[in-house]
Order: sequence, then structure tokens, then C-alpha cells
Amino acid sequence: MKNDTPLLEVKNLDVRFAVRGGDLTALRGISFSLDKGERLGLVGESGAGKSVAAFSILNLIARPGYIAGGQILLEGKDLAAMSERELRKIRGNRIAMIFQDPMMTLNPVLTIGTQMVEAIKAHRRISTKAARDIALDKLRKVQIPSPEKRLDQYPHELSGGMRQRVIIAIALLLDPEIIVADEPTTALDVTIQAEIMALLLDLCEQENVALMLITHDLGVVSQVTQRMLVMYSGRIIEQGPTREIINDAQHPYTQGLINALPQMGEPGARLFQIPGSMPSLKNVPTGCPFHPRCDFATDQCRQAMPDYVRSGNVDVACYEVSNLIEQEKRMQEAGS
Amino acid sequence: MTTATLSRWNRFRESFLWYSFKRDKVAIASFIVLLLMVFAAVFAPLFAPTNPYDLAQIDIMNSELPPVGMSGADPAFPLGTDAQGRDMLSTILYGTRVSLLIGFGAVVLQAALGILFGLLAGYMGGKVDSILMRIADVQLSFSTLMVAIIVGAVFKASFGNLMFGEIAIYMLIFIIGVAEWPQIARTVRASVLAEKKKEYVDAAKVMGFRTNRIMFRHILPNTLSPIFVIATVQIANAIISEAALSFLGLGMPETQPSLGSLIKSGFDYIQSGSWWITLIPGLVLVVLVLVINLLGDWLRDVMNPRLYKG
Amino acid sequence: MLAFLVQRISQAVLVMFVISVIAFAIQDGLGDPLQEMVGMSVSMEEREALREELGLNDSMVVQYLRFAGKAIQGDLGNSYFYGKPTLTVIAEHLPATLELVIGASLIIMLLSVPIGVYAAIRPQAWLAKFFMGVSTVGISIPVFLTAIVLIQIYSIGITVEWFPADTGWGQWLNGALSTDGGMPSYGRGDDLTHLFGTWNSGFFSELGLMHLVLPCVSLASIMLPLFIRLIRAEMMEVLQSDYIRYARAKGLSSARINFLHALKNTMLPVITVGGVQVGVMVAYTILTETVFQWPGVGLMFLEAITRSDIPLIVAYLMVVGLIFVITNTLVDLVYGLVNPTVKLTGKKA
Repeated sequence: MKNDTPLLEVKNLDVRFAVRGGDLTALRGISFSLDKGERLGLVGESGAGKSVAAFSILNLIARPGYIAGGQILLEGKDLAAMSERELRKIRGNRIAMIFQDPMMTLNPVLTIGTQMVEAIKAHRRISTKAARDIALDKLRKVQIPSPEKRLDQYPHELSGGMRQRVIIAIALLLDPEIIVADEPTTALDVTIQAEIMALLLDLCEQENVALMLITHDLGVVSQVTQRMLVMYSGRIIEQGPTREIINDAQHPYTQGLINALPQMGEPGARLFQIPGSMPSLKNVPTGCPFHPRCDFATDQCRQAMPDYVRSGNVDVACYEVSNLIEQEKRMQEAGS
Repeated sequence: MTTATLSRWNRFRESFLWYSFKRDKVAIASFIVLLLMVFAAVFAPLFAPTNPYDLAQIDIMNSELPPVGMSGADPAFPLGTDAQGRDMLSTILYGTRVSLLIGFGAVVLQAALGILFGLLAGYMGGKVDSILMRIADVQLSFSTLMVAIIVGAVFKASFGNLMFGEIAIYMLIFIIGVAEWPQIARTVRASVLAEKKKEYVDAAKVMGFRTNRIMFRHILPNTLSPIFVIATVQIANAIISEAALSFLGLGMPETQPSLGSLIKSGFDYIQSGSWWITLIPGLVLVVLVLVINLLGDWLRDVMNPRLYKG
Repeated sequence: MLAFLVQRISQAVLVMFVISVIAFAIQDGLGDPLQEMVGMSVSMEEREALREELGLNDSMVVQYLRFAGKAIQGDLGNSYFYGKPTLTVIAEHLPATLELVIGASLIIMLLSVPIGVYAAIRPQAWLAKFFMGVSTVGISIPVFLTAIVLIQIYSIGITVEWFPADTGWGQWLNGALSTDGGMPSYGRGDDLTHLFGTWNSGFFSELGLMHLVLPCVSLASIMLPLFIRLIRAEMMEVLQSDYIRYARAKGLSSARINFLHALKNTMLPVITVGGVQVGVMVAYTILTETVFQWPGVGLMFLEAITRSDIPLIVAYLMVVGLIFVITNTLVDLVYGLVNPTVKLTGKKA
């Protein structure tokens, strides 16, 4: 494998929902890449299209959603163009997923053991005994107490945190190259959230697994990921190294998100709020979808979607930012 | 038309109900067929060539004539005659009238009982609720048809054949209405429980309205759409139950036949080849029940109410 | 497990108590045992003495307790018509009804699961739409009418002469639409195999099976559409759930997802409803047995009504009530055993 091709590369991905009265566009022109062992954060409010993006990677979008265009390249092979049969060989095997709510993710009428063994046997021709051994090994890795007992238990006999540990263990069963985790801690008690997140981070580092973490929690993103994407209304509006974005966000929306974090304000002071709310898919405004809520909005913003500009190592889609960069360039030219 | 009814009509024309009705061919066709059948049944005396209740108009020499299109048919009897020489078309028109009357009557009765007990159970809760729902459970697990058959059998045994025949219509309305009340009661109870949690009920309580006023004036109107959906399907069920009871000889007598008793009386002659006496009223019964069921399915899809499940 | 059992059984006992009170009320209100025993020629004094002796002057409670006590010992009185203990009469008729119910249940189970699952997995396929359309029509056809139509087609036979017989296609169409008939439609046939006790079975001879076909199909026809619709609706709901999407994310085959993950969750509610429907089926046996003159308890019950055979009516009610209660309790137990999320033990879930 050449070193310059990324492990996963998403190019110009469009996802639509076929509903009565025409298609709704859920994702528009999504492009990003993920390197081996890299940890990428995907941030945005609910409804921004984060989960759709996560599910579309394995082509698991629920009907009536479908991939309308673009490519999802796993080491150069396009997942979006693959048959269901070929995709099945990748799902759970090379790319594993962790869902949001551990209470709903495991099948209530099958034992943990059954659900782990079947995942291994779907991809490897080995005996049930050997599969159970692998399952046990992974359960130990996620630090579940008395793992032998868990294999014969049903999901409802386990607490939420334990179930999410099981799901992480299932994700690791086949030593995947990528784990896509869709808000893996949102449904858990606050006290357990940090524990599970730390466990996930540890295991990804140990096993050198690339992690794509979908979350609305900027705090988690800044602690866990190396690079991040910010999504708004089905588009990526800013992407780059996490540190750079957190320290010096370019897009007004990202700035708003960061200012809204509690630790940014003084104790006792009112938290910052971005006025208004994200548009629904049914009436996305023209131009930059953020313009109705943006303090810097101009006529230009209302007319056309801005292209990406590069500021440092960060790509941003905002006229305000590109204008600033232009100005800086001109001043530099004038100075030199 | 007054302005009030006019504006109500306009509101209906703008409603989602009307909109989805216009788009659903099956619903429109079912509605037209049902309307025609109800119309023909209500005005049966005008359409029917003969009066099947009038013995003077019947000639036993005309018995078991086949419908037009078969050899031996008499054009005076387009659908043939039954074993007593009655014109099938007339008996079917009058029979549909009886079936529809019992179907509607039974549903009105069960709706009254179901709404009353459902409201009581849902609003009172506690002991009243558990006793009423226990009874409903037991009755439902026995199946409404079984309950109707048992009640019918007991009535028939205690009144005797003749007496039962005279008051059969009221008896059947009573039997089917009583046997089927749990369906509506459970639906009403479920929606009352959901409504009870809402703020307007608390507001009414705080304002000092009396319990029955809150139940009938405030909660009931909000539970009407599931009742409406259930009631539609229940009319079909009541018509089937009536036909079943009559077929078993626990329903309408042959002198005053419903569709069920027509099928029953025809069944005795099916082996002799006179299929029309039983199968033509059977077909009418199936069409009637089918169009009501189809309308019920459509209503359920459109109104999408919280129906009691299980 | 014990707590669950105790709760279920006490509930069943309560329901049986209510049924016995109703049965007692019917017997007390309708039956006059004196009339049956002595006829008209007995004087008032003698009647009164007999009433006293039979305990008919005791209070209702005492009379009910006597009735219930006898019932528990298996004594529900003698049938007026048969002149035998009512329970013996029922025991003689019950196997015929049970075979009808077994046959119909087999048809329902074998057809409803594959059709319901297919319609849920491929809701847009024309075959699935066809099945659902037929189910809607099927629900609207009363069971006795299905039976009559089946008799007309397969027992009596139909001759179609709509098409010109002098043309080849007309002849062919006439022939294709006509049936010979000949299927038995009356009773159980003469070739029954004795199993045990009062059970003579029709399942072990060609003639017996032939006699079973039309009645079983008729009885199944009313339940089959209900089950197909139920299974389809439940399965479609399950297929929407997160754990099914997760199963796909694990890379499982669609066969395993549909037939293990989804079907197992679908069948749980179906078991509950299905168990109750077995009880409902007993009501429909009365109709089916009437059409086919099938010598089971349903026909026996209807004849008892026309003969005013009160003890037999009461005994039938008690036995049918017991069957309902037992099936419902069994269904609850089976559901508890199959569904891991229902705790049968007293421990917290």
C-alpha cells in the first residue's frame, strides 16, 4: 500500500431522502479523509447530518435515504458502488460501528455470546469454540467483570455502561481498521461517559484502529481526536486539526459553538447562545445555510454557498473568512 | 343552508380527511358501493318487486327458480326464487336492511357502553379500572362471538322460539352490543389515559369543573377519532356476528330474514343444486362487510389514532 | 417462577369461579330438575317434599356451593337427551373438535409465518400485495360462507357453460372453470382409528383425512388472514429497530437477520395473540361443525340448545371455559419461557 493514499477517503458525497414531493438533501458535497490509526471527530448540532454521514460510510442509511452521488473509497475501492454482498464482507470486519443507544443496539432475545460469535462467524471460518475464545478475550479487553458469565446473559441483564462495553468488544472482534462511533456515550449516565470514552480511546491507540467519532460534545472532541469536521445543515463548514480549530475557530458557527461551552464563560455568567436554530431539511435557506443566524451575513452569503478556503491547516467555507484572508494577502503584498 | 353549516362544509373540504379521500381510489369505490347498498336497503320497499313479508304475494309454485341467465329462469325474478317461492331480489333487499339495522344498532349500543365504561375506567383508575378491565379481558379472551352465542342461546331457551322470533331484532342488537363493548372501552380507556396527562384536564380541574363535565365535555371529544375508526370496523364485525347467529338459528327467523338467515335457509337446498339461494345473499354480505372494512382500513391509516394493541 | 405460577393460577381460578357462577345462574334460571324427574302427575305436596330433599329450597349460596363441589368432582349432572353424565357426552364429542382445531392450526402455522414474513421483507412486491389483498377480502368472509363455497366447489362441483362449447378455447375455459366435486362434506367418515379412551382419530386413514380437509380449511380461513396481517405488521416494526440495523452493521447475512434476529422478536407478540386466538377458534368450531355436520362439541352444543338440554349446555360452558383458561395460562407461561426479558423468578429484572 502506498503511504500517500489515505485509509478512507470520502469524495463529494451526496445523500438524499426520497419522500413524497421530491427528494430532501441530507448531505451535500461531503469530502474528508481518514488515515490509518487516526482519530477524527465529526461535530455538529442534532440534525446536522452527522449520523447520516456515519451510516452512509457502510451504506446503512435507513430507507428512504440513499447515496445520490460521490465516492467512499476504502483503500481506493468505492464502497458506494459495491454490491450488498461485497459490502457485507467489509461491515463489522474492516469497518465496525458503535451505535448511540446501547439499550436498543443489542437484540433483546439473543444472548451476548450468540451476538458476538455470529459476528465472528460471519467473516471467519472457525469453530464456535474458537469464536467464543475470541469473544472472551475481547470482553476482557473492555474490562467487563466475569466475562465468562456475560456470554450466556441476555442484554437486559446488563447495565447501560456494561452494554456499551460489550458493543465496543464486538467492534473489536475482527480487528477492524476503522471504528465509526455514533455518539457512543450520549445515552449513558454522565459518570460513566468519561470511563467509556477513555476505554475507547485506549483501545484504539493500543490496536492502532482509526476512529471516526460522531459527537456534539466539543470537549470530548478536543480530548480524543487529532482532526475534526464541523457540520451544519448537511455540509462540512470547517475541517482541520482539532487543536487549531479549538484554539482559533474560523467559521462564525464554530466560534459560536466554542463560545457556548460552559468553561469559556465566567462562573455565574450567562452562557453564550447562537440565536435561532438549525433549519430543517425541508427549508434549507439559499446560499450559506448559516446566514440567517450569522452576525456577519452579507448579500453574498444569501446568494451562493461559499467555497472552501484554507486558513493555516484549516479548510473553511465562509465568505467572511475568505474576505479576511484576501485582505491579509493584499496587506502583505502592499507591505512587501 | 345556513352560514354555519356552510363554513363547516368549507372546513371539511380543506381538511386532510377529504384530501386523502380524494386521492384514494379504493376508499372512493368502497364508499360509493356502501352508499348504494345503504340506499337500496333503506328504500327497499320502493325497489323490491315484491314484499317478502307479505304471504299473499308468494306462490309456492314459483319455488327454486334459478336467476336470469340460466335455463328455467323467469324474468319476473331476476335473481331467482327461494324454496318458498319468494323473490330473491326482494328478500335480499329487505335482508340487507335488517342486517344493516342490527349492525348499526349494535354498534350504537356498544359505543354507548364502551364509551361509558372506558371513560369510567380511564378517568377513575384504581379499583373501578381494574374490575372493568378484568371483565373486558375475560370477555375478549372468550371471543365476542362465543359470548354472543351463549347469550343468544340463553335468551332463546328462556323466551321460547316464537317469542324470540318476534323480538329478534332487539335481542340481536342487545346481544351483539353487549358482547362487543370491551373493544371500544379499551380504546377509549387508552386514549383517556393519554389525555388525562395533558394540561387542559388539570386546568379544568383547577377551574372547579365537576368530574362528569370534565369527562364528557373535555376528555371525550379528544378521544373521538379512535372511537370513530373502531366503530367503523365494528359495524362490519356486528354484521358478521349477526349473520353467524342467524346462521346458527339464534338470530332472525326465516319469516323476517336477514342476510345470515337467508344464507342459512338456502344452505338446506345447496345439495339439490339451488346454489343461488345461499350464494347470492352470501356475496351481498361479503361485499357489504368488505367495503366497510376497506373504509375502516383507510380511516385508520388517515387518522392514525392510538388504537389499543393486542 | 413460583410467584409467577401462583399469580397466573390464582387468576385462572378466579376466572373459572366467575364462569361457574354464570353457568350456575343459567342452570338455576332455565332448568327445572323436577319437571325432568317426575313429570306432571305428581301432587304439590310430593313436589314440595322432593324440592326439600333435592335442596332446591336452600339458599342460593348453599346451592351454588353444592353445584361447585360436584363440578370439582367431575359431576355436572346428566344430559336430558343422552341420559348419560354430561361430561361423558362431551368426552365422546371432544376428540372430533380437537382434530378440527389441530388441523386448522397446522394450516395456519404453515402458511401464515412464511407469507407474513415475505410480505414484511418485500412489502412492494406484487405477490406480497396480492397476499395482503386476499387477506383483507378473507377477513370479510364469514367462516360459514367459506365453508358453503368450498362445499359447492369441491363437494358438489360446478359446471360452467359461459363460453361457447363449439370453440376450442371456450371448451377449454368451461372445463378449466368447472369442478368435479366429490370431496366429502358430511361428518368424519367411517374409517376412524381408535387411539385411546374416547379418541377415534381421522388422521390415520385416507378417508378420515379426506373428511378433515374441507372443515379444517374453512376453520383456518378465518384466522389465516388475521395472522398474516399480524405477523407482517410486527415484523415490519421489528425491521425498523436499531438492533436490526446493528446486525447489518456487523455484516451478517440477510437470511440470518431476517430469520433469526427479526423473526424471533416478531414471534413473541404473535405467541400471545395466537394463544388467545386458539380460544377464539373454539367459537368458530360451532359454525364449522354446523355446516359440515361434524360430530364435535360445537354441533353437540347447538343441538343441546335446540333440545333445551340445559345440563349439557351448562357442562359445555364449563368445559369450554376451562379450555380457554388453560390455554391462556399456558400461553402466558410459554411466553415467559421464550422471552428472556420476562422474569419468571421473583428476582429483580
